[in-house]
Amino acid sequence: MAASTFAASTVVARLTAKKAARSGALWGYFFGVCVASSALTYLSSYKTEAAREKLAANFGANTALAALFGPAHELQTVAGFTAYKVLGFLSIVGAVWGLLAATRLLRGEEDAGRWELVLCGQTTRRGAAAQALLGLGSGLVALFIVTALVTVLTGRSSKVHFGIGESVFFALALVCSAAVFLAVGAFTSQLAATRRQAAAYAGYVLGACYALRMVADSGIGLDGLRWATPLGWVELLQPLTGPDWVPLLPSAVLVAALALGTVQLAGPRDVGTSTFPDHPTAPARTRLLNGPAGLAARLMRPSVAAWGVALAATALIFGRIAKPAGAAISGSNSIGTVLSKLGAHGVGARAYLGVAFLIMAIMLGFVAANQVTAARTEEASGRLEHLLVLPLSRWSWLRGRVLEAVAVLVVGGLGVGAFTWLGAASGHAGLPFETLVNAGLNMVPPALFVLGTGIFVSGTWPRATSVAVYGVISWSVLVTVIGGFADNSHWLLDTSLFHQMAAAPASAPNWASDGIMVAIGAAAATIGGFAFQHRDLVGE
Amino acid sequence: MATTAVRTEHLTKRYGAVDALKDLNLEIAKGEVVGYLGPNGAGKTTTVRLLLGLAGPTAGRAEIFGMDCESQPVEVHQRLAYVPGEANLWPSLTGAETLHLLGRVHGRVDTAYSDDLIMRFDLDPSKKVRAYSKGNRQKILLVAALMSRADLLVLDEPTSGLDPLMEQEFRRCIDEARERGQTVLLSSHILSEVEALCDRVAILREGMLVEMGTMVELRHLSALSVDATFDGPVPDISGIEGVSAVETSGRVVRCQVRGTIEPLLRVLATSGVHQLISREPSLEELFLEHYGRPKGPDEPTAPDEPAAPGGAVAKVG
Repeated sequence: MAASTFAASTVVARLTAKKAARSGALWGYFFGVCVASSALTYLSSYKTEAAREKLAANFGANTALAALFGPAHELQTVAGFTAYKVLGFLSIVGAVWGLLAATRLLRGEEDAGRWELVLCGQTTRRGAAAQALLGLGSGLVALFIVTALVTVLTGRSSKVHFGIGESVFFALALVCSAAVFLAVGAFTSQLAATRRQAAAYAGYVLGACYALRMVADSGIGLDGLRWATPLGWVELLQPLTGPDWVPLLPSAVLVAALALGTVQLAGPRDVGTSTFPDHPTAPARTRLLNGPAGLAARLMRPSVAAWGVALAATALIFGRIAKPAGAAISGSNSIGTVLSKLGAHGVGARAYLGVAFLIMAIMLGFVAANQVTAARTEEASGRLEHLLVLPLSRWSWLRGRVLEAVAVLVVGGLGVGAFTWLGAASGHAGLPFETLVNAGLNMVPPALFVLGTGIFVSGTWPRATSVAVYGVISWSVLVTVIGGFADNSHWLLDTSLFHQMAAAPASAPNWASDGIMVAIGAAAATIGGFAFQHRDLVGE
Repeated sequence: MATTAVRTEHLTKRYGAVDALKDLNLEIAKGEVVGYLGPNGAGKTTTVRLLLGLAGPTAGRAEIFGMDCESQPVEVHQRLAYVPGEANLWPSLTGAETLHLLGRVHGRVDTAYSDDLIMRFDLDPSKKVRAYSKGNRQKILLVAALMSRADLLVLDEPTSGLDPLMEQEFRRCIDEARERGQTVLLSSHILSEVEALCDRVAILREGMLVEMGTMVELRHLSALSVDATFDGPVPDISGIEGVSAVETSGRVVRCQVRGTIEPLLRVLATSGVHQLISREPSLEELFLEHYGRPKGPDEPTAPDEPAAPGGAVAKVG
């Protein structure tokens, strides 16, 4: 009897843990593979002491690259290189995972009405929120355990040789941002009226943290800003090179404070409502609501605006620091080699911006993925049925969504070019407007490829849409980043979308290659559209 | 000019090894209000999705107003309006914005009627969808469908979540639709609603149409309940043609009579009957009769060509 009472009173924790742990373990495996591949790449690419010293000399003090990838320490060692390669990248991935998991399992459950069922059981609103946090903690533990396990196994190799304690601390550093943003997501879930809003709020926090981290690492004398952002705390941990436990303290305090805040806010708040004032009524704004394209524009407006702000801010910052960063790169053969592997064959600010545009192309790829998954969500939620039972063909609906997504991506690319020019002009980098706008336009084809691939998968295997589009981007990023530092097979590199894109403005855009990507994307979208036309609508 | 609103021929839908709908032959005349009944998983929603072109048939075909549902969905949808049981609308839009959107895409809106419906259903259109209760979200879809004055209304559990007052209002709206000559296909679990509104009823079981006809026809196919109270000794009526389920309690006999009641009346007339009560089965009883017992191999199916009003025909394939 006591056992069944306990089981009933912990059902939320167990249900949340089940979902979070599965996802955490999967991402932990990805984290581990990234660590292992970076270490092995270093061993195969920098075989001699001389090569390693040269790498360290060129990268160690380069503030421009630090702004992009984070600071480098002890690059003459496999440990230093591995930490440099994966820490910054996986911190972002972990943060995104954290905020999405938390908002999905807290606010998402509330939106779906399942939270009400849970609250009919032996718990209170505060109790359920606390249990959900425990469940999310299980997901974090799974992420940590799997990451640590693969890192320890990698470290046992005689050539890699990470100590067990070092490996575990490294894994801890890798999941640190995930912990913080799980808590941020849980907290914003109490503030917002919908899961989408909660994820957007948490996303804004992440964007601000990333911008602060970039400014702190850009070598303009604001190093202290690292203490102002959770992504900076991760860097300050300096795993594998100069481990320091102290920066874990602000992370732990913030997580505890946000968890406490989450539980506190869950108490007085009615289920289904928000802490921030939500206006349940509004005057009708029907200007856009004359068809499916207008509806899509209306629904996507908040996320497109958020991405637009993020891209514009990133472009401005990159443009602003392009001149000093370019000066640091000039004269370094080693950096030139690395940049050339990333596709940037120029010198100075152009070479630097070549890599910067690569990063912004990845962001634009995520915008494309977001457009595809939003369209798929319309179908999965059943809302699309309300339109398709009206005199509206599936082709018309899909065409509207695709054209709108294409417009968003093209405008995004051009905007990135324009804002980078604005930043560069304010920093007297002396780069022509046309060159940077062309570089912005050059980012669009990979995003269109992602869009086309997404429509193809959505038409043929709809439930795999999200995995497919984010998988294509993640794979391409991984291959491109590893390829930048290692002598990899061109067959492997060719599987990356971003490797197919010329690193403009470091080199001239390869419009032929861009055209092929657009053509493949268009063909994939056409086939996907045809399949969508002839298949049954599929729910979640 | 076609007099048939909906016609299916050997319509079949299979999901893997599961037959969701088997060989459905159905015909609904213009202006008819037809109830579509069946327990969960019987194939009602599958039929509706096939008619709407949201899913494609594994075999057979469906037509609405003579147009193929699979190859001419846009033309078909110009003539119909649909209300699903699950009102998953866009949470950030208000009720008014949702109605505006659905009306603009449909292209047919009787604005005056729309305003009237909003008032009759006591709907506040300025609220955001996420602030509506389930019943109010359902009202949005009902208003959107009814305001189009579509020739065919396809309603799949349309009153789920509505309170009894609103359900009464819904019934009035369907009566108005009938008077205007609109055709209605009403899939519902609320049997009293179907009984009150529908000219004919189709009953599905395990993906197959097992019965279709007017209430009179269906009652004719089913047993009549008879309670007889005698002044004296109770006669043995168990051997009388058509009589079954005989139960005796003191001087009261209760039984079921299938087919004509004449043989029973002849016996009762000579046995000192003090009181005789006969009652036709309600739709609920008819429904339960179909689903309360396992289907035998020789189970009678729908009549081949019942003399249904409106010239409708129901067959089991």
